[in-house]
Amino acid sequence: MTILQQIINGLVLGHAYALVAIGWTLLLGVARLVNFGHGQMYMLGAFVTWWAVVKAGVPYALALPMAMAVGALVGVFMQRVMLKATFEQNLVSIMIMTLGFGYVLHGVASIVFGSTGQILETALSRRDIELGELWLTWQDAAIVVAAVVVFVGLRWLLDGSRIGRLVRMVAEDPKLAMLTGVNVRRVYYGVFAFEGAAVAFAAGMVAPRTPILTSMGFEEVIMTFVVVVLGGIGSVTGSYVAGVALGLFTALFSALVSPAYTTAAVFLVLIAVLVLRPGGLSARVAAGAH
Amino acid sequence: MSQPVLDIRRLRVSYAGNRALDLDALSVAAGEVVGVVGANGAGKSTLVNAVAGWSRGTPSVEAQISLDGRRLDAWPTHQRVRAGLVLVPEGRVAFGRMSVDDNLCTAFTPAAQGADEGRHIYSRDEVYALFPRLHERRHHLGHQLSGGERQMLGIGRALMMGPRLLMLDEPSIGLAPQMVEQVLGTLKLLARKGLAILLVEQNVRAAIEVVDRLVLIERGRKVLEGAASEMGNDPRIAEAYLGASTT
Repeated sequence: MTILQQIINGLVLGHAYALVAIGWTLLLGVARLVNFGHGQMYMLGAFVTWWAVVKAGVPYALALPMAMAVGALVGVFMQRVMLKATFEQNLVSIMIMTLGFGYVLHGVASIVFGSTGQILETALSRRDIELGELWLTWQDAAIVVAAVVVFVGLRWLLDGSRIGRLVRMVAEDPKLAMLTGVNVRRVYYGVFAFEGAAVAFAAGMVAPRTPILTSMGFEEVIMTFVVVVLGGIGSVTGSYVAGVALGLFTALFSALVSPAYTTAAVFLVLIAVLVLRPGGLSARVAAGAH
Repeated sequence: MSQPVLDIRRLRVSYAGNRALDLDALSVAAGEVVGVVGANGAGKSTLVNAVAGWSRGTPSVEAQISLDGRRLDAWPTHQRVRAGLVLVPEGRVAFGRMSVDDNLCTAFTPAAQGADEGRHIYSRDEVYALFPRLHERRHHLGHQLSGGERQMLGIGRALMMGPRLLMLDEPSIGLAPQMVEQVLGTLKLLARKGLAILLVEQNVRAAIEVVDRLVLIERGRKVLEGAASEMGNDPRIAEAYLGASTT
């Protein structure tokens, strides 16, 4: 395989990472919350999409919003359970609760969907785009487009809309936001619903690339965590850049060095970045924006 | 005798079991500026925070609070704000990472909240007309503003929410004297248009110039209340807060 093909693979993978991380980015940026159940919510989104398409015969285009609705409900339920800890910004409790919630989701999914791997195929993932030597599926192209659209859309929503202004108020000072008439509780619910829907959407888009397993959550939460931290905690633009960079790094490292040590290498890079630039890759952007 | 805009009865606030405030009654009428003065830690901020149902700490509050005769002491903060009970808190009043324009943004449309009961809802342009300085700095971020500009921003945002009662917690703190005069002078102007104002001030000398009625709080209790014109001559106020010599 040529280097150019690896770069294409890396770009697709990177956009997939970024898309999967977007919900957590907003969660961290606005509510200063972490969600270590994120990976299992990804898994659930993938399985709901798979179930809808394969078992229920729902068209893929309808299965995606179905998965998003389930994801949003799960997100709102989690936030309901953690609301007190959220207002107190009790991060240790939230970390443990979300981690536990992820394992519960894993268990429930194993009972409902079984523990064998499944293949989620879509009309797009079965068709290839070939450009001379180079190759990718239409699903890959759709992932890149979806990631760009979601990031640009979110950026616009945060910077240019009234809702975005309110969300930024809560991000900066939830107490002061209350005094401007913001229902902070509702914003927290909204952000968690977005997290759930966004990760389910990402799962529906990205999961067709690989076999899906109910145990795949851990790998996803780890990579997402790397993207969010590398990007600069809570920075929307930063996590897009970090996602794409991580995808390129992963693809090139596994092609040129060794696929077996990719995750280890990724964490070496993460640690190096955190030592050299504690605020993440886009530290300056993050300080100016959010 | 018309109904007061704000009516507080039996207000008790404690922090971790320690009583911080114990107030039997206090009311503010439309067009009236009531000043709450007292030493540091007397319970002035505790009072306005309790009325707004808001705090950066975790007090326990017991009170009967009515706005235009409507009890709202069980309401969450944002609902009280929407009803027209607006507080400009002490200290942080501006969102530092947002522009002045974005800071002057409300979470709700006061007009849709039944703002027909004599609530004047300021537009952003009206706020800029009231504080031309803010207009000059409208693209600056909150953290780039001076203390006085932040207070203007806080008051401006409050006015955009169409308050029935405007509460200000130490708006003069850290301001240059002519800025104090401008900020407090604006309050007088607003009251003349019918707004009820509850002003917490440590700067008694400045407050006494703008308020109609003065309430002195010491160690969580109301010790004096009266018309500002008379209170200025009261020896307890004069000696302790105006630094007058008893000659």
